[in-house]
Amino acid sequence: MTEVLPDAPDVGSLPRTGETYNIVGTSPAHHDFIEKVKGSLLYAADWRLPGMLHAKLVRSQIASGRITRIDTSAALALPGVVAVLTAEDVPYNQIVENASGGLGEVTVSQPVLAADRVRYAGEPIAVVAATEPEIAAEAVDLVEVTYEETPGVFDAESALADDAPLVHEEGNVLVNWNIVRGDVENEMAAADVVVEGEYQSQHVEHAYLEPESGVSWLENDVVTLRISTQVIEHATEIAEILEVPESKVRVIASYMGGGFGGKEDMTVEPYLALVTWHTRKPARMVWTRQESMLASTKRHPFLMRYRTGARQDGTIVAQEVEIIGDAGAYPCLSARVLFAGAALACGPYRVPSVRCTSRAVFTNNVPSSAFRGFGAMQVVFGYESQMDQLASKLGISREEVRDRNYYVKGDTIPSGDEITTAVAVTQTRELALQELGEGPPPTASHKRVGRGFGCGMQPYGRTIWFRDHASAWLTLQTDGSLLIRSGVTDLGAGQAASLCQIASEVLGAPLESISVYIGDTALNPPAGGTFATRQLYMSGNAILRASHDLRDQLTGVAEDLLDAADGELAWQGGKVQAGGRSLTLADLAKECQQRGVNTSNLYTWRAPGGKFDPSTGQGGTFPDYTFGTHAAEVEVDLETGQVEVRRYVASHDVGRQINPVRVEGQIQGGAMQGLGYALMEDCPLDEGQAVSTLFANYLIPSSMDMPDIQVAVVESGEGRGPLGARGIGEPPVGPTAATIASAIEDAIGVRPTQLPITPERILKLLDEAGSAGAQTGEEQA
Amino acid sequence: MKTQIFLTVNGEQHELWVRNDRTLLDALHDDIGLPDVRYGCGEGVCGTCTVLADNEPINACLTFAVQAQDVAIQTLSGLTNASEELHPLQKCFLEHGAAQCGFCTPGMVLTSKVLAQRNPSATRQEIRYELVGNLCRCTGYTKIVDAVEEYFGQVREQASTGGGDR
Amino acid sequence: MSAAAPNSSAFEYQTADCWEEAIKLRALWGEGAKLIAGGQSLVPMINLRLAMPAALIDLNPIVSSGPWLDQGELVIPAMTRHRAVLDSPLVATHFPMLAKAVGLVGNVRVRNRGTIGGSVSHADPTGEIPCVVLAAGGRIVVQGPSGMRSVPADDFFLTYLTTATDLDEVVTEIRLPVAGDQDGWGFDEVTRRFSDFATVEVAVSARSRASEEIPELRVVLGGVADRPLLLGEDILEPFRRLGADPQAIDEVAQNAANSISPESDVHASADYRRRLTQVLTRRSLAQAVGLG
Ligand SMILES: Cc1cc2nc3c(=O)[nH]c(=O)nc-3n(C[C@H](O)[C@H](O)[C@H](O)COP(=O)(O)OP(=O)(O)OC[C@H]3O[C@@H](n4cnc5c(N)ncnc54)[C@H](O)[C@@H]3O)c2cc1C
Ligand code: FES
Ligand code: FES
Repeated sequence: MTEVLPDAPDVGSLPRTGETYNIVGTSPAHHDFIEKVKGSLLYAADWRLPGMLHAKLVRSQIASGRITRIDTSAALALPGVVAVLTAEDVPYNQIVENASGGLGEVTVSQPVLAADRVRYAGEPIAVVAATEPEIAAEAVDLVEVTYEETPGVFDAESALADDAPLVHEEGNVLVNWNIVRGDVENEMAAADVVVEGEYQSQHVEHAYLEPESGVSWLENDVVTLRISTQVIEHATEIAEILEVPESKVRVIASYMGGGFGGKEDMTVEPYLALVTWHTRKPARMVWTRQESMLASTKRHPFLMRYRTGARQDGTIVAQEVEIIGDAGAYPCLSARVLFAGAALACGPYRVPSVRCTSRAVFTNNVPSSAFRGFGAMQVVFGYESQMDQLASKLGISREEVRDRNYYVKGDTIPSGDEITTAVAVTQTRELALQELGEGPPPTASHKRVGRGFGCGMQPYGRTIWFRDHASAWLTLQTDGSLLIRSGVTDLGAGQAASLCQIASEVLGAPLESISVYIGDTALNPPAGGTFATRQLYMSGNAILRASHDLRDQLTGVAEDLLDAADGELAWQGGKVQAGGRSLTLADLAKECQQRGVNTSNLYTWRAPGGKFDPSTGQGGTFPDYTFGTHAAEVEVDLETGQVEVRRYVASHDVGRQINPVRVEGQIQGGAMQGLGYALMEDCPLDEGQAVSTLFANYLIPSSMDMPDIQVAVVESGEGRGPLGARGIGEPPVGPTAATIASAIEDAIGVRPTQLPITPERILKLLDEAGSAGAQTGEEQA
Repeated sequence: MKTQIFLTVNGEQHELWVRNDRTLLDALHDDIGLPDVRYGCGEGVCGTCTVLADNEPINACLTFAVQAQDVAIQTLSGLTNASEELHPLQKCFLEHGAAQCGFCTPGMVLTSKVLAQRNPSATRQEIRYELVGNLCRCTGYTKIVDAVEEYFGQVREQASTGGGDR
Repeated sequence: MSAAAPNSSAFEYQTADCWEEAIKLRALWGEGAKLIAGGQSLVPMINLRLAMPAALIDLNPIVSSGPWLDQGELVIPAMTRHRAVLDSPLVATHFPMLAKAVGLVGNVRVRNRGTIGGSVSHADPTGEIPCVVLAAGGRIVVQGPSGMRSVPADDFFLTYLTTATDLDEVVTEIRLPVAGDQDGWGFDEVTRRFSDFATVEVAVSARSRASEEIPELRVVLGGVADRPLLLGEDILEPFRRLGADPQAIDEVAQNAANSISPESDVHASADYRRRLTQVLTRRSLAQAVGLG
């Protein structure tokens, strides 16, 4: 269901095309979706080139140590093996992320192929290329690596100890963010109540169904890669690694079989580039699922410590937050993830005095990096648990304590940044709870039912000091068809399709007549990667403005031909109309050609920039936020600890829906990923070694594990995306764990603080609360 | 050393030379060139390699190509040839937004199509049960089950009005 | 490493049309050979390079005519697919416990290919089928160069992935004694994800006996040892003492939990498995004796 907020105030300078839309707000199926249901869409592993080699990585067996010898002779002797490349074969063996944008993270580089040291189990050491995949796999087993193990550190908090083994000489702390406002000591001391809590999240795997994959070839001496990636701009790093000019590397992104942040860092790219560069042959690399489980980046486990001080009426006066994130062995995007955690650590609540420290810490675990929610999702479990604790301590309702503290438009977040659009979190909560209603009583005497909710706040768009920009290029052809060229990559969420809808809305070109070419560093203007829920915001704004500009370019000719007055033109259905007369876009384009009027427009949209000062912990952070509330009803088996999620509602203010079916789909899928995170998913490590790399043992929810996700959309009409839309890619994953924990607490009277909330942990909680033993012992089946 | 085999795929015979350890998945995807049969795990867990063998869903990743000579194999692309219009079940997927990244879609469609033939009156829960081995990381399943339910309704309606079987 | 034997890991492949041929091929190829039935356990291991057989002997051409009744036993040929077990009216009538358990095995694709012979041969201690076959007091018919023999399920499952089948033998049939009208059964399991391998499962058959008031109980635990575990008389003693009542059930469940030393793995600790054993034993027993 959808609720439109009445009297949504205008959002300043954001262009609008008027209140009613023809294409925006409908849910047409775009071309790529037709190919998807036919099965004909070509993903990254679906290309085959003449003479193509199959590349495969030799990965470290140990988590921490020195490589004393690499013997490739047996592998090279295997017929069919064409190359075995090691660190020596990498022209520039370094990947430098600098994810914070120079705001104080330690500079540590990651080798493409480990040369002397290995820092996590699964780290690439050599790449093998062979004529057949089976031979490549055999050859990998024949590469002999001899190690000398060194002590490692496998837990972020232990890595902070003075005598902890160093993962990198530069120290174990990658970055330490501080956000400070007000006088926390005094405010806390003066608070009527103080609640404290410690919360722990786990390593989580993206588990997109399409493993990391791609192909590479040489074309006109340009190393060309067609990859399942969110970020084609890695072309720059690939050129650096090969020590060739950037102009000699081209990256094409295929439509992805899921990304979720896991294809934001490079995966197969540098290895494919190396193989093709050295052998001059096309190559393909597809990580096995087990490789992906072992060595692909994970969501950061966060250890979060909260202290919250409030007045008797529930008003928060001060909050102290400490976040320690396990970055694993290399920096990747940890610095930014931990920044988002710090900036959002207080959630959608006004907190006058704040002290938040957030550190990314190196360990000899698999590297952590971007994953849907990007640091801002882990902290929801912390701040929402604090709110519930506060409510019970003060004896007021969970709703009331939140109502006292919700942000309103114009408030500033702890870093001092102002919230400039509507905060409709209350509406999302009311809707979610209303939809949830109250279900039937427990189905057995050893079961308990509980209901709960959680609110969340997720930024969209890059941190503003990156001065983000995106370009889009539109061309109206003389037959009236429209070409969109944009460097966006498509994760499967309809990124390309949304651009078509916006252009269609403005120019009146029917969707069938629009072709969109995306994700190619050679042929498309850059759009930046698809991450941080930024593409609708960035490229959506770029395409909106390009469409308006193109329309303006064409308007003079159209007015002339139609003999129309200023502002009289209507652009719709492939035609321009005025006063009963009409003109097809094709005729208009032809006439423009005749008159030498340009029918293309290349627009670069720049997001507002800003500065953050890491020394004061104050400054600009994110362009805007998406708010939401989830609500759940669970049934807990007191004897086995199993939790059944009976009903689940997710509500978000999406600003404006460009495509309602896709919005709903994003919310449902995000909530499901959140449910897996809350209850099932974990990648346990034992001294840095994965306990299992089987997909069978990584528990993403199946169709039988969770209920239907009900969606309740709020449209405040305010957002910084095109036409007032807000980003919705990441937000729905955020509130889930807190929501489930809150429902479980309602059912059993104890609050889970460690994720995932496994049946075993539920029993432990019940034991600790002392009530379990008696109940399970006495109750009859 | 390779073995000569003959596979019947989507009604067409193919002659291939494969190693004995070539999975049916790799033979279909790489040797015959069918992008709708996909590697997702190689463990039988995810369902992206689902194909029909004599009209029953199987794991192409857990069958060797040399074993598949005596069965009729159907993949999603066998449901429609490229020029033909979509199968009604595919239309339901499209209309309900049941595909996001689309990687799981072939397996979802094939598995539910077989269920529709066996039990078009399957409940929502029974549909979910049948699809349990077809994982989806994008949609949260709700829209997939919606799409399949709608198609089952169409099949029942057709059956009651004596329409053809498709 | 015997470096550079071309394509060394690609195995030989041969089909068997009947058990005799399978046995002959097995003798011919020797130790490096593997039988392949549904392949749903073996092929993942080959794909992950955990098994590298020199030769595969494919049993799939051996036609199975589905379960039938023979002198008080339900006979299930080894090559019967899980799917055929589920679809069989005979199984539904005489072994609802087997039908329920098989419905919880993997997914539709696994059930379309996986076989009962493969399941008992693979002897996964968490597998539903070995548990139920043992609880039912079935026997496994094996055949080798020197003929046929039948092994009681009690003696069949030795340890992880290891059975009493000799290297030169094949499993040809599973035979389960048909249950009577008065007999009860109970089956319950806990999985972390629906229809995955169980964390712990308990299968109970309760056979009424003309001479005695209490039924003959066979209680099998899965997922708590290196094989499906049949509870001994000592553990079931409370039944003898108290009869089939809630108190006895509780005590047996407690005994069962105390008697095991399960391992911890990625899904559960030993301690949790012990607790589940108690709960599930109680629930399955209660169901089997009609107190559920
Ligand atoms: C995704 C997935 C989920 C699964 N979930 C479950 C589950 O929840 N519960 C469960 O119980 N099982 C589960 N399984 C396993 C499934 O039931 C297998 O089918 C079964 O364990 C083995 O049967 P198979 O016919 O496939 O045997 P194969 O894989 O062909 O063979 C297994 C072993 O048995 C040997 N063998 C096979 N047949 C014979 C014979 N006649 N005589 C002697 N030896 C023989 C083989 O040599 C091999 O060593 C799952 C499998 C998958 C892929
Ligand atoms: S690839 Fe076959 S089930 Fe995953
Ligand atoms: S749509 Fe992406 S996995 Fe299902």
